[in-house]
Amino acid sequence: MRQLLNGNEATAIAARLARVEVLASYPITPAAPAMEQIVRFISEGKLKAKFIRVESDHSALAAAVGAALAGARPLVVTNSQGLAYMSEVLYHASGLRLPIVMAVVNRGLAAPHTRFPDHGDAIAQEGSGWIQLFCENNQEVLDTLLQAYRLAEDERVRLPVMVHYESYIQSHTREVVEVPAPETVDKFLPLHRRPALDVDNPQAVNVVTGPDLYMDYKYRQDKALQDSQEVLCEVDTAYAELTGRSWGGTLGVYRLDGAEHIFVTMGSLASTCREVVDMLREDGLPVGLLKVRCFRPFPGEKVRSLLKGARTVTVLDKNIVYGSGGALAREVRASLYGPGPEGPFVYSYIAGLGGRDVTSEDVVRIYQMVEEKVKGNQEPLPYEWYGIE
Amino acid sequence: MAKDLPVVPSAPPGTMALKPVAAAWRERHPQIIEGRCNACGECLYFCPEGALKLKETEKGKELEINLDFCKGCGICAHECQRQALRMVAEYTGPQGLLG
Repeated sequence: MRQLLNGNEATAIAARLARVEVLASYPITPAAPAMEQIVRFISEGKLKAKFIRVESDHSALAAAVGAALAGARPLVVTNSQGLAYMSEVLYHASGLRLPIVMAVVNRGLAAPHTRFPDHGDAIAQEGSGWIQLFCENNQEVLDTLLQAYRLAEDERVRLPVMVHYESYIQSHTREVVEVPAPETVDKFLPLHRRPALDVDNPQAVNVVTGPDLYMDYKYRQDKALQDSQEVLCEVDTAYAELTGRSWGGTLGVYRLDGAEHIFVTMGSLASTCREVVDMLREDGLPVGLLKVRCFRPFPGEKVRSLLKGARTVTVLDKNIVYGSGGALAREVRASLYGPGPEGPFVYSYIAGLGGRDVTSEDVVRIYQMVEEKVKGNQEPLPYEWYGIE
Repeated sequence: MAKDLPVVPSAPPGTMALKPVAAAWRERHPQIIEGRCNACGECLYFCPEGALKLKETEKGKELEINLDFCKGCGICAHECQRQALRMVAEYTGPQGLLG
């Protein structure tokens, strides 16, 4: 059924379709309406779930950890400061290998205080061991949340997943979203109980672990995270078979055939870049787009094979890792290190922080600036800020 | 090859991962003096680690000490009305004091 939904409503409907059993959330702008809508579903009897009221985001995720240990299917909804506040518990969730799904409505981090979109909150948690998926529109939000549960609960994965979408651009903007039938979703996502706690065989969870074992645990956790790339592609294919919609698994490719200059980006900017690619292609310019859907684990090998033949790569980052640059550009460059001098130059731009709009005109301007540098044989700077005059 | 570990880091209560830890730093442990223990079970209530239990045998109930969980505090021996438990040094015999 086609519905007009904003990102938060898509999240709430995904929660209902996934038959989420526990919602642990602390209200925060702009994620709160998703929480409110799910609570409405619960009060109307449309979703059989327990809403746990907590006094902070730290406790919200702690409650979800408890729910997941008991084998329930939890959802957490938060953003920016809330996600930062959860930081300590994020590592517990991934280290304990719990299939928690969290919708994160990306918003810039204070200070100064902002409520507008960028990916800084997500990138700050890049080392937390969570799978991180970025969505470009509200259809992808709904589809990705459903895929996220199947991915998180897969025996080979057993890891928590963050599903990212941007504040206001997605959370408060309505788009047409195709909502799959509950029976379709039930087929794709049966409730899979795997409690970590067993009353007949009591275990202490999260025990003190010495140097002889800690590193082995971490090796296994990292391997599971790396291996989840393949599982995500499988899950995406299975989802496409049922609904007809695929999001490319870890990466979305657009008009890469014959593309000499390739944009790489994540989230809502992917939609903007896709339009720009069409515009420039009409002018006969050989451009393409590589959308990174799965930022963690980073599909470095695939990125490398898709980009190594390009002449120029331009990465647009809606985040700044202070003192280093854009997180996505850093990953792209790292994945290209090795092809040698024949590999493409990677130009890195920081753009759209704290809700500053990046329009298709901006992307065209960046394209032209890069092309001028290429003509002038100008090597890329580590990174540049777009829109700072 | 990484060690074979549970997916969710977990272990029996009172232990570190995989192996009991108490044994590593215990200096003494209780020993049942034959013929004195009447399996009244009083000591079970005092053991802070749950290291004691009564097990059913053909001869009736018998006290059993799980040394994996014993930290050697000696409370059981102190509380026993019949002085049926004695604390013995951890490192005796061929192991020697220096282990």
